[in-house]
Amino acid sequence: MGPLNPQIRAAPDRLQPPACNRSGDARIHDSMDDIRQADRTLVDAVLANRPGAFERLVREYQGLCWHIIQRMVRHPEDARELCQDTFLRVHQCLHQYRYESALKSWIGRIAFTIALRHLQHKRIALVEPGGDDGESLVDSIGDGFDLEAACADEETARHLHEAIEALPPLQRTLLTLYYLEETSIPEIARITGMAAGTIKSHLFRSRLRLRDALETRTGVAA
Amino acid sequence: MIPHDEAHIPTFDDAALEREWQAQESAMRRERLQLDPAGDDARSRRYRLIARSLRQPPAESLPADFAQQLARRVGAAPKATPAGTSFESRLTLVLASTLVIAAVAVVAIYGQAWLPSFAELLPKPPATRWLLALAGCIGGSWLLGFWQQRPHS
Repeated sequence: MGPLNPQIRAAPDRLQPPACNRSGDARIHDSMDDIRQADRTLVDAVLANRPGAFERLVREYQGLCWHIIQRMVRHPEDARELCQDTFLRVHQCLHQYRYESALKSWIGRIAFTIALRHLQHKRIALVEPGGDDGESLVDSIGDGFDLEAACADEETARHLHEAIEALPPLQRTLLTLYYLEETSIPEIARITGMAAGTIKSHLFRSRLRLRDALETRTGVAA
Repeated sequence: MIPHDEAHIPTFDDAALEREWQAQESAMRRERLQLDPAGDDARSRRYRLIARSLRQPPAESLPADFAQQLARRVGAAPKATPAGTSFESRLTLVLASTLVIAAVAVVAIYGQAWLPSFAELLPKPPATRWLLALAGCIGGSWLLGFWQQRPHS
């Protein structure tokens, strides 16, 4: 797969190295072993051309690919075509899969790369130049917020959806992977090829921005 | 779901930013577990509302028979290859075999005349044995790599 946009390789600011967590590592290792075994069974079945195996693989990962690609390109027709391209590429290259990461990450990476190339081809910016300053947003957002009113207000929900749609493609995709697909940051790092710190920084700023949009909305409503 | 491996995630060096991050994370987990929001503070409830929106799948989706269609398309692909392909590969095999047999025959008939002069060019033993072992290793690795990379049929 080709190199990523240099914009998304930018080092995150204000981040420190992590602390060590041995028991967490062991738990993750066991979980990964189970996933790898399931991946191996499915991949072997597809490579052996067993009836229904490839369809099962597509069914298993089509949601992930759709969420990545749809969030990146936001054009339903293009997204469907790119999803097809992704799985055709998966079928073509599956014999090269070496189980170095979970199959989900490997397929997600193909989907992400295909969507990224599409955006580059269409000259659509992946992230906003400059970006928000997290610190200034934390300081500027107030606490005066009527949640009950916001929940009851369909307009607020729509406003929040619009704010999500208005985020740059990369931030939309990272939030979707994190919230909807419940993908961990290290796994997102494997899918996107970005550093965990950069992903954390993007998630942090995006959520602050959405919170700011929510505050603005309730301020307007009041 | 894979548990979050926070060991590999750096922390913010600014305490206020890290507190805000922890509030975002806590709200996401509480919303995911659908815990009672009664005990949440204003900031947490705000982030839970955002989490709720972000957890909603997009309105558009792939067609219901997407996987079936794609599997059919992939399954039909080998049939779409040109009819001459298998004839060409058989012809290539026959030509390659003929070439190998001809080479063996030439060596058998004329080899005694020119093989000794080639043997003089080769390094003296035990260097020859090491060179042959190296060539064997390289050839073996290449064949193994070739076998691993070919698509399973």
